[in-house]
Amino acid sequence: MNIGQFLRLPATRLPPSSLPSTSAADPKEEGRPAFVFRFQIILAFAAIFILSVAIIAGAILTVHKVEQLLLASQTWQSFLFEAEQARRWEKNFFLYGTNLKDALEATQKAKITLLKNLASLQKLTDPRKQEEILLHIEKYNQLLEDLFSLAQQGRVAEPIKDEIEISLRRYGALVVDDAAEVSHRQSIEALSWLDILKKVPLYYLLFHFLLVLWLTRFLSHRFMRPLNELVRQTQRIARGDFSPVHSGRRYRDEFTTMEEAINRMLRELETRQHSLIEAHKLRAVGILTAGVAHELNNPLNNIMLTAHALLEEAGELSREEVVEMVKDIVAETERSRAIVRNLLDFTRESESIMEPLQLEKLVEETVRLARNQAKVKRALISFEAEPNLPRISGDRQQLKQALLNLILNALDAIGEEGRIRVAVRRGTAGGLAVEVEDNGCGIPPQAMPNIFDPFFTTKPVGQGTGLGLAVVHGIVTKHGGRIQVQSRPGCTRFEIFLPSMETPL
Amino acid sequence: MHTVQVLLLDDEPIVGQRLKGGLEKLGCEVETFENPLQAMARIAEKRFDIVITDIMMAEASGLQVLEAVRKTTPEAKVIVITGYATTALAREAMEKGAYDMIAKPFKPSDLRALVIRAMQDLGIPAPPAAE
Repeated sequence: MNIGQFLRLPATRLPPSSLPSTSAADPKEEGRPAFVFRFQIILAFAAIFILSVAIIAGAILTVHKVEQLLLASQTWQSFLFEAEQARRWEKNFFLYGTNLKDALEATQKAKITLLKNLASLQKLTDPRKQEEILLHIEKYNQLLEDLFSLAQQGRVAEPIKDEIEISLRRYGALVVDDAAEVSHRQSIEALSWLDILKKVPLYYLLFHFLLVLWLTRFLSHRFMRPLNELVRQTQRIARGDFSPVHSGRRYRDEFTTMEEAINRMLRELETRQHSLIEAHKLRAVGILTAGVAHELNNPLNNIMLTAHALLEEAGELSREEVVEMVKDIVAETERSRAIVRNLLDFTRESESIMEPLQLEKLVEETVRLARNQAKVKRALISFEAEPNLPRISGDRQQLKQALLNLILNALDAIGEEGRIRVAVRRGTAGGLAVEVEDNGCGIPPQAMPNIFDPFFTTKPVGQGTGLGLAVVHGIVTKHGGRIQVQSRPGCTRFEIFLPSMETPL
Repeated sequence: MHTVQVLLLDDEPIVGQRLKGGLEKLGCEVETFENPLQAMARIAEKRFDIVITDIMMAEASGLQVLEAVRKTTPEAKVIVITGYATTALAREAMEKGAYDMIAKPFKPSDLRALVIRAMQDLGIPAPPAAE
C-alpha cells in the first residue's frame, strides 16, 4: 500500500482567479499535514486485524504446547507401564524364583522408551528429575543383570540376594514413583493450558466487542464533528456572513478539500456581492440626481445673479459692496463643491476598508444626501442622535449606501405629508441602532418574509430591481450586525443593529 | 399712478438681495421674503400685483403660496422659480394658474423680462428705462 497516497503533501495548485484577493493561498489550510479519513479507517481496522492475528497465533502455540505435554505424558505412561511390569516380574522372582528374564526385558523396554523420546521429553520435564529417573532405571537394570548372571551361575547366596533385593526395591519404587509424578504433573499442566485455551476466546470476544464499539464511536465522532461544524458554517453563510470557513483541526482530510471549495465559493460570492453593491449604488445615484440638481442649482443661481449684478452695476457699487458680492460668489462656489463632493464620495468605487467611524455623523451625511430628494418629493426627513455614542468599525461607503437605500425606499413608500424619521441611538449589548421610520403605505404582511431576498420587489415592473434591501442586508451582515423591520400602514420602521468598537454585539 | 407691488419669495437670501434693486429700477415696489409662511401672511394683508416665488422651500411649497395668491387676488400674476423643473411640476403649476415659470439658474434680465411682460399684461406700461 502506498502511504503517500494518504499522507499527501500539501496541495500547492490553486484555481485560476481574476481577483488578487482570491489568488492568495490560505497558509493556515495549506500548512497542515494530511491525514485523510480513508487512511484513518484503514489504520483502525489494521489495528484490529493485527490484534486478532496475535490472539490466534497465541492459541495455535498453546494448542501445540498442550499436544506436546500430552504426548510426553503418554511416553511417561508407557515407561511407567513397563517399569511396573518389571517390578511385578521382579516380585515373582523373589517369591517364586521365576520371571527374572521377563523383568530384565521389561526394564530394557522401559529404558528404550525413555531414551527414544529423550529429546522431546527434555523440553517438558524437569531435567534433574529426568536424569534421576534415568540413573535409577540404569541402576535397577544393573542390579537385575547382576542378579541374572548370579542366577545363571547358580550360586545365589541368600545374603547377597537379600542385599540386591533391598536395592532393587528401593530403585524400583523410586523410578515408578518419580515417573508417575512426572506424568501426572504433565497432564495437570496440559489441563491448565486447556483451561486457558477455553477462556481466552470468551475474553477476546468481549474485548473485541468493546473495541469495535469504541472504534465505531470514535470514527463516527471524527466524521460527525467536522460535518456538524460544516452545517453550522453553511447556516452562517446562508445568513449572509461570507467570512471564510476555518476548521480548527490539526490535519488535512477530505473535509479540508470541501472547506477549500466552500471558501473558493465564498470569495466568488463576495465578489458578486461587491459588484451588486456597486451596481446598485449607481442606481441610487440616479435616483438622487433630481435632488442633487435642485440642490446644485441654488448656489449656481446665486453665483449667476451675483455675477450679473456685478456686471450690470459695476460703476455704481461701492468697494465694500463689490467685496461682499465676490465673497458671496466664493461661498456659493464652495457650497456647490461640497454638494458635488458629497455625491462623488458616495459614488466613488473603492476597495472595502473597515475603519473606525462615527456612525451618527455618517448617518447625518447620508440624510443630507437624501434630503434634496425628499424636497423634490415634498417630504420631511428628521434626524436625531443620542450624544456621546461609541464609534463603530465599518466601511463608510457601504454603510452610507445601506442607509440611503432604506431612506429612498421610505421616500417611495410615503405619499402626501410624508415624514421620515432617522435616529441613531444605543442598542442592546453596547451596540448601536439606526432607525429609519416612515409614515408611508407599509409593507404588505405576505411580502414580509421575502423583503430581504434578492430580486423580490413589490414595485411595478421596471421600477424596482428588488436588490435594494438585499444589498442592505448584505452590508449589515458583513458588519456583524442585523436588521429587523416592523410594518403596518402608516408606520414602517427598519432598525439596523451594529456592534460598536467598545463591545462586540 | 399706481406703483406695481411685487413680492419676491425665495429661501435663498441672495436671490432677494440681488434681484430687488433691478426690479425697483423697473418702477416696482418690492418686498422680499425668505420664509413662505411670513410671505403668505403678508399676502393675506396686502394686495400684490406680481408674486415671484420659489417652489421648493422647507416650511411650505411655492404651490401653496400660488394657491393663497389665487384665492385672495386672482388677477395677480404669479411667477414660479424652480430649482429642478420637471414637466409634472410645470403642468401642476400652470394648472393652478401660474403666470409663468423660470428655472434656476437664470439671469436677472430673464426675470426682468418676465416681470415686464406681466406688467404689460396687467395694463401697466413698462418704464422706458427698462432694458
